[in-house]
Amino acid sequence: MNPSRILLASHGTPGARAAEAAALALARQAGAALHQLVVVPDLWKGMLGDDWLNNAVTHIRFGGYVESQLGREIAQHIRDFEAQTIAEGLAYDHEIRQGKPVECLLATLKESGTFDLVVIGSPRPLGVPGLRSRLDLETLARRLTVRLLIVPHPES
Amino acid sequence: MVYTRKHPALLIMGLVLLAIGWLAGSGNLKDLTAYLGTARLLGEMTTLPYVFGTVALVVGLWHQFGSHKPGQLDYYLSTVAGGTFILLIAMIVRWFLDPWVAVMSKAMGPVLADKFLHDVLGLNYIVLGIATGMIVVNVFKIPDWAENGVRLSRLGLKTGVVLLGTLYSLAELWQIGLLSVVMIGFFVLGSVWLVLIMGERRKIPNSMGGVLSAGVGVCGVSAAVAAAPVVQAKSTEIAYTIGTILVWGLGCMFLFPAIGHLFGMGHIQFGAWAGTGILNSAQVAGAALAFQPNGIETLKVAEIFNITRVLFLPIIVLWLAVWYVKREESEGKTSAQVSVGKVVFEKFPVFVLGFILLFALSSTGVFAPAQHYQGAYFDNKIKEDKLLSAKDLGTLAAEAGKIQRADQKAALERLVANKKLMSVEDDDTLRGVVNAKILSKDASAVLTKAHRAVRHTSKKIAMFRDFIIWLFAFGLTGLGMQITIAAIKQAGGQPLVIGGVVGTAKAVLSLIVVLLFVREAI
Repeated sequence: MNPSRILLASHGTPGARAAEAAALALARQAGAALHQLVVVPDLWKGMLGDDWLNNAVTHIRFGGYVESQLGREIAQHIRDFEAQTIAEGLAYDHEIRQGKPVECLLATLKESGTFDLVVIGSPRPLGVPGLRSRLDLETLARRLTVRLLIVPHPES
Repeated sequence: MVYTRKHPALLIMGLVLLAIGWLAGSGNLKDLTAYLGTARLLGEMTTLPYVFGTVALVVGLWHQFGSHKPGQLDYYLSTVAGGTFILLIAMIVRWFLDPWVAVMSKAMGPVLADKFLHDVLGLNYIVLGIATGMIVVNVFKIPDWAENGVRLSRLGLKTGVVLLGTLYSLAELWQIGLLSVVMIGFFVLGSVWLVLIMGERRKIPNSMGGVLSAGVGVCGVSAAVAAAPVVQAKSTEIAYTIGTILVWGLGCMFLFPAIGHLFGMGHIQFGAWAGTGILNSAQVAGAALAFQPNGIETLKVAEIFNITRVLFLPIIVLWLAVWYVKREESEGKTSAQVSVGKVVFEKFPVFVLGFILLFALSSTGVFAPAQHYQGAYFDNKIKEDKLLSAKDLGTLAAEAGKIQRADQKAALERLVANKKLMSVEDDDTLRGVVNAKILSKDASAVLTKAHRAVRHTSKKIAMFRDFIIWLFAFGLTGLGMQITIAAIKQAGGQPLVIGGVVGTAKAVLSLIVVLLFVREAI
């Protein structure tokens, strides 16, 4: 397997970090370029829940805060991974999408050039804390047109 | 930006509403309403659809064929589609789904003592409305044309609370308010403190402790939303906390009314318990109306508790902000300083001022005479044909020996002697005889007939009450459309453990306090 451009879907969780390490190793070995996709799950759209007491100012402040907090967390994550690719001398770029993880990944495959391998982390094992926004592997496998590498979770 | 969507949905909903109004008004729904036991609702089933159907039709024509430019008019009229969508669902649930569930449930026979399944599960138009809203958002998604207007549900609830201000007497507001300040003060401060202590022991970050204590302690999601930026909560901490509160709140909305009926709680007791023990404020109104779907007494008590909670919100957010800055600084970290004035000004619930204003206005007698505010007032100047008949008096006389208590005996004697109830006290005493099922069905029916002859419902207040119930049904159905499974699924981590322990402790302890100390007479 000698990929020339790898699509890495990761978002900073322990499982995704395992996928990042595997993608880095593969890219290093094959001299492939890395394209990182970070998905902001659409669950955030429902995070105001059934709040009815607060006024619009508080809602706007909360929305702005969540947006900037997510932005900071993602920027930090991208910076950390980019530093590793620079240290390895690998070609790297990234993109951020909002929505359902599978839909975002398929959209990237369609719209962001040609890829010959997709690398993702495996689902979080039961009991391990983390946000519940999983890639639906069956849907992904049915619709994927390139090879897929699922890297085991470090705690599995 | 143009908010209005060129879509025929509003036009179609307008036609559907007008069709419902016509069917109800022309008598075509008589058989159906007789089957569902909702014949008494035919009046509102005609008026409401005609009024809102006409509005929807006119605005729908404008949506579909008008030219839309960015501006205030476009923004406000764009909300009509979402608002009508919620209203249509609320109407279908209240007039058709809720009665149909009751008919099916009764057909199955009693499942617990003499109670039917829908009574046990509290399946009425409020709970079914919230559930339908949740199905809409999670299974079908909110349509694009309705998204903007679905937010109107918050306005509906706030307007409901403001108008509720007209239905309190000064004595009621003073006594329930005092009770709520004592109970909320103790349980809010206690649960915020307990979350912070547990968080310290379990070594959770300060930011997580801050957002969780606000959510669990004060008023659920609203408090978490208000506190998250102040204590600089991380994204996962916000998601865990809000998910936990939503799960807990929905569970309580189903459990609390069932437990309330099990303990035979009265309206004041249940309102006080729900207003204190349910973490999320939206579900307080839901549980109160689920407990008493065809009356407003429980809601009146529960909403006073809700208002007291929300008045505590700026204070608690301020406390947490100061606590967070101190904790971070003591750990050698830096954090933004807090502006006291800004926090209090931004978090102050302005709609509470509307509630107070309407209460003050109603106290002047501008809406109805003072004795009408309870909804049912006493007046025994009745016509001859409303007096008890000789047969009625015979039925009562035959069973008078079954009554042992002196006050009940005396009240019954006065009733027999005058053929009508002579005072509010006698009426209350003999209602106690009926409720305790001391006499036979026939004799109890005579006492109820006497009660109905002297208790009159103020038409103006009854209209107000119905309007308020509709506002809450509208608001809660719309709020159901904002509860996503994706958000609920985030319940987890330390917030689930700590929130579970503190939430359970608050619910159980407040139940004990209410059962021991809160009486049914205010």
